[in-house]
Amino acid sequence: MIGRTLDHYRILAQIGEGGMGVVYRARDEVLNRDVALKLLAHGALERVGPDHLLREAQTASSLSHPNICTIHQVGQNGNDFYVVMELIAGRSLSDLIVSTGLSMETVTRYGTQIADALAHAHDRGIVHRDLKGSNVMVTPEGRVKVLDFGLATRMERDEISDVTLSYSSLESKLVGTLPYMAPEVLRGQKADHLSDLWALGVLLYEAAAGQLPFRGKTGFEVTSAILREPLPALPATVPYGLAAVIQHCLMKQPVERYQRASEVRAALETVQGATLQTRHPSEETRGPRMLVLRGIEHLAVKNKDILLLVGTNKGAFLVRSSRDRTKWDVAGPYFHGQGVYAMAYDGRNGRHRMWVSANNMMWGTFLRSSDDFGKSWTNPLEASIRFPAESGTALRNVWQLSLGRPDEPDKLYCGAEPAALFESRDEGDTWCLVRGLYDHPHRPRWMPSNGGLTLHTVLPDPTNKQRMYIGVSAGGVYRTDDGGISWQPSNKGIRVTFAPERYPEFGQCVHKIVMHESRPERLFLQNHGGMYRSENHGESWQEIGHDLPSDFGFAMLMHPHDADCVYSVPVESEEFRCTPEGRLRVYRTRNAGGSWEPLGRGLPDKGAYETVLRDALTTDALDPAGIYFGTRSGKLYGSRDEGKTWKRILEGLPQILCVKAAVVQMDGWSTAKTISRSKPVKKKTRSARGAKRGRSR
Amino acid sequence: MKVSFHIPGALREFTENKSTVHVEVKEGVSLLEALQALFAECPGLRDRVLTETGETRRHVNIFVANENVRYTGGLATPVVPGMEVSIVPAISGG
Repeated sequence: MIGRTLDHYRILAQIGEGGMGVVYRARDEVLNRDVALKLLAHGALERVGPDHLLREAQTASSLSHPNICTIHQVGQNGNDFYVVMELIAGRSLSDLIVSTGLSMETVTRYGTQIADALAHAHDRGIVHRDLKGSNVMVTPEGRVKVLDFGLATRMERDEISDVTLSYSSLESKLVGTLPYMAPEVLRGQKADHLSDLWALGVLLYEAAAGQLPFRGKTGFEVTSAILREPLPALPATVPYGLAAVIQHCLMKQPVERYQRASEVRAALETVQGATLQTRHPSEETRGPRMLVLRGIEHLAVKNKDILLLVGTNKGAFLVRSSRDRTKWDVAGPYFHGQGVYAMAYDGRNGRHRMWVSANNMMWGTFLRSSDDFGKSWTNPLEASIRFPAESGTALRNVWQLSLGRPDEPDKLYCGAEPAALFESRDEGDTWCLVRGLYDHPHRPRWMPSNGGLTLHTVLPDPTNKQRMYIGVSAGGVYRTDDGGISWQPSNKGIRVTFAPERYPEFGQCVHKIVMHESRPERLFLQNHGGMYRSENHGESWQEIGHDLPSDFGFAMLMHPHDADCVYSVPVESEEFRCTPEGRLRVYRTRNAGGSWEPLGRGLPDKGAYETVLRDALTTDALDPAGIYFGTRSGKLYGSRDEGKTWKRILEGLPQILCVKAAVVQMDGWSTAKTISRSKPVKKKTRSARGAKRGRSR
Repeated sequence: MKVSFHIPGALREFTENKSTVHVEVKEGVSLLEALQALFAECPGLRDRVLTETGETRRHVNIFVANENVRYTGGLATPVVPGMEVSIVPAISGG
């Protein structure tokens, strides 16, 4: 054939051979470009007839999609039937798949593109019928091109039995195709878009695991495996989210599969970039989903009660009071013996869900939640916060659980150690690593502080869904303006004391950042030495708090209704991290840091060498605001008049790591978390209505 | 061949309260493969025994017979028929 001309195509060289025929590189003498020309085997023509094939090829040539190899022309020259296609430089996916499987990022990236190509073709009534690794090309830039759409001839029933009986001796065509064939096609049904989705599942499995899911020495064995055997487990390195997509494609019953390629694409996109998702709780997963805690006297929580969530290094405690905030009941410890560094109360969308990060020194860190005020807790089989397998990083702890914006009621954020941000968009069922931050070039140069390398503060801008701040010890403040894709250090003006350069671009040991939702451009920050304010979204910072007894501290709290009012509990110094002179004092500014007043009525005046950690100071956001804090020595204090007077609520707890407060809305209305009086809430959501209620007394 | 795993009390909520779980594995497999068979049986154990990078958690020790596998090749330690594997929380505190 080489040197021959078919119409105006001069055949230059053979570049491939498959069941459908031989592929040549050819020169289009009219358009002066190189193309791929597939000369179809006579056998293929005989099977279905040239007219039919021509019609199918013509239909396929109508497809125009970046992930589909473009068909330029279909033609017939005497007895030769040929298809002229875009010439693609690259390698076939079957060549790229190695025995250990491709990286998960690669599998999802390729899979998304293939699913998109299928979605485009299926929308136009075109079914591939022969999707397999050798029909998918990958260009050097990583773009996937699916070949041979609609060109596969249908296999008739007797042909299938031929294949199954004499598999090993058959020509490569059917040997290559059989392992991708859907059970219903093997039973003689016509291939359709759902059998394409099966083939996509086989391809994804093969790419992820490095081997086909259904194997055998003979065609009979392969067929039998496809028809009857359960899907072999994917290697443990395959993230659960991806495994779930593959399993869903490979349901034996077509009705149980995804019904559209666009669904597969969407599912892969969710997994992509991210990582890892937990397998969604389902009946299939064995073991306990809920753990009912017995032997603990639980709280009887009523509507409008104030609830305090207290995390300690040996478990969590729940504390409640009625609206008058004078008498408190306590229950716990929950998660006996485990370190509870982060808790959150999610009252959005009618929920009353408590979240706990429970760090078991032996068995790892798990997120647990309760919808019944602690009587029962989720007990996930798999850890939901986890780094991608290929990152080589393992979770050490979860330091922060934060709610998304009030009008994004299904969003949650998690700050991890080693420093990383995770996001959930489905009310905490599944979590994704925020890759933009994880891949930041500064990250390898962040230094662990005393507590480890932790991401402990997550501050979404309530007025701008693209903007968010995070605090890392010791990496500093970072801001995103594009929803987490890129992150800029925001540490200008913040001093460090532990490196020769006083004002580096990043590497600050920030302890806490707060913001009032009515003034999102203004931030307050407690640093490892120094208290700061920014009036320009963190572009620059100026030091405040000169009249505080010390510039060292951990906890910082924004007043819920006053954008000029901030609370702090300074400790004496970096060396002596206890309240100065043994006097326990909360400090408050009401002029955005210009001056600070001590609040000590009801707090011990001497012998109180206390430390209040970064998440152990909080408010219930009522009016007047209740302010609460817990100490490292296990005492819990509260004020129901914004700090004027204090009462000890509890003592004798283990070391208190975090305190969160909420107002319970049993009728499905929001918690105090979203209450604001300085700013009218734009969107009338449940939270907005809740805010109104919370204020009316 | 059969391998028996001894499960510590804290993890028995994932083994239907069984203190020993027996799994069937092929001859000549490694400890990791035997563990995978165990995790297939009791999925809640996987993330509690290993980290997401596939390493044994820092404060978890696995003994094959009476030998801590940290000194016998870790998860690559071969298991032999009838062998007993113990998952034991390490001495730690704080």
